[in-house]
Amino acid sequence: MWRDISTWTAEVAAIFRKEWRCELRTRYGLNTVGLFAFTTLVVVSIALGPAGTSEEAQPFLPVMLWLILLFAASAGLPRTFVAEEESRTAIALRLSARPSSLFIGKALFNLTLILALEVLVVPLYIGMLQVPVASVQPLVLSLLVGGYGLAIGSTLTAAMVAQTQVRGPLFAVLAFPILLPLLKFAIEATIGAGSADPVLLERSSVALKMAFLYDGTLTVAGFMLFPPIWNP
Amino acid sequence: MPSAISTWIRAQGLTRGFGRLRVLQGIDLEAAAGELLLVTGHNGSGKSTLLRCLAGLMAPQRGTVDCRVAGRELDVEARRLAVGFVSPDLELYSELTTAENLEFTARLRGIGEARGRELLDDLGLPHDRLTGALSSGMRQRLRWAWALLHRPKILLLDEPLQNLDAPGRRDVSRLLEEHLDDGLAVVANPDRLELPHVARHLDLDR
Repeated sequence: MWRDISTWTAEVAAIFRKEWRCELRTRYGLNTVGLFAFTTLVVVSIALGPAGTSEEAQPFLPVMLWLILLFAASAGLPRTFVAEEESRTAIALRLSARPSSLFIGKALFNLTLILALEVLVVPLYIGMLQVPVASVQPLVLSLLVGGYGLAIGSTLTAAMVAQTQVRGPLFAVLAFPILLPLLKFAIEATIGAGSADPVLLERSSVALKMAFLYDGTLTVAGFMLFPPIWNP
Repeated sequence: MPSAISTWIRAQGLTRGFGRLRVLQGIDLEAAAGELLLVTGHNGSGKSTLLRCLAGLMAPQRGTVDCRVAGRELDVEARRLAVGFVSPDLELYSELTTAENLEFTARLRGIGEARGRELLDDLGLPHDRLTGALSSGMRQRLRWAWALLHRPKILLLDEPLQNLDAPGRRDVSRLLEEHLDDGLAVVANPDRLELPHVARHLDLDR
C-alpha cells in the first residue's frame, strides 16, 4: 500500500512539475491571470479611491477582493485542460497518467497559481484602497481556504469544459453554481479580518469552517467525477 | 485464444459510430505475442477508430475488447496505461525538449530516465531540442520513442511510417522487429506495408 501511495505521489509531482515547466516557458497563465488582476485592481482603486477609510464602504471590500480573484482565476485556469485538448497532448496524458494523480497534479498547479495571485493582489488591494486589517489570521486563513476551493472547483470545471465544443462561455456557466457557495463563505470569512467586533469574528469563524467543509466536498467530488469526465 | 499464450488482444463484434454514421460494424480480430496484425482500409474506413477502441481511448457502442499481458487480464484503465500507441493525433509538449517529454512520461510510469535517452539515441533524435522545433519526420520518431518507453507488450500503430525518411523507416522497422520477439502489434495503414512478421490481415474495406 505504501508503495502504491509513493508511486501515486511521484506521478502527482511529475504532473505538477511539468505544468510549471511549461508555464514558465509560455507564461500564458501567469500573464493572463496577473494582467487581469492588476488592471481590475487599478480600475477599482481609481473608481473607489481609499474606500477603506469610509465605514459604509468597508462591508463591500471583501466582496470586491474576491470578485477580482474569481475573475482573474476564471481568465487563466480553464486553460488547464483546454490546452491539452487543443494541442492534442491529451491522448498522451490519457495513456500514461492515472486520472486521480492527473486531477491532483493539475489542481496543485492551479492552487499555486492562485496563491501567487493572492500574494500579488492582496497587499496591493490593501494598500491602494487603504483597507483596515484588524486581524491577519482570518485574512490568511480565508485566502488559503478560498484559494484551495477555487483551485479544485476550477480544475474540475476546466476538465468538463475541455470535452465540449463551446469552451469559452461554458466555463463561467458551469463554474458559477460550483463556486458560488464557496465565494459566499470566503467573503464572510474575510470580513472578520477587517473588524474587531466579536460578533463579526464569530460569523467569520463559522464561514471559514463552512468553506473548509465545502473544500473537502469539492475534493471528494473531484476524485469521483474526474475519471469519467476525463475518459468519457 | 489458447490460455498458454500470455499476451494477446481480441475484439469481438466491435461496433462504433458517430451520430448516424456507422464507422465500425461488428469487427472481430485477434493477435497474440509475436504476431503483427495489419489493418488496411481507405480513408474514413475506421482504422484510427478501431485502434482507439483497442487502446481504451474510445468506448465501443457494441462488442468487447479483451486483453491479456504477461498472463494478466487487463481492464480498460490498465489497458490504457499498458499499450504503446503511435498516431498522427498524438502530440507531445511543444514547450518541452525531446528528453524532457520522455523524462516526464518516464516519471509517470515509474521507470528510469536512462531508457528515454537510450531511445532518443536509437532513433537519432537530439536530446535538447524543443519538440515544437522538430520536423514532422523527427516528431514521428519521437512518437515511436514515447510509445516504446515502457517496453509495452502491445503496440498499436496508426500510420506508423508517416513522414519518415528511408533511415527512419529502417530504424522503426528494426525496433518493431525487436518488439515482436515477445510482444504483438496492430498496425493501421491505408495500404499494405513491407513489415516484418505480418501474421494476420484485416481489410476494413471488405
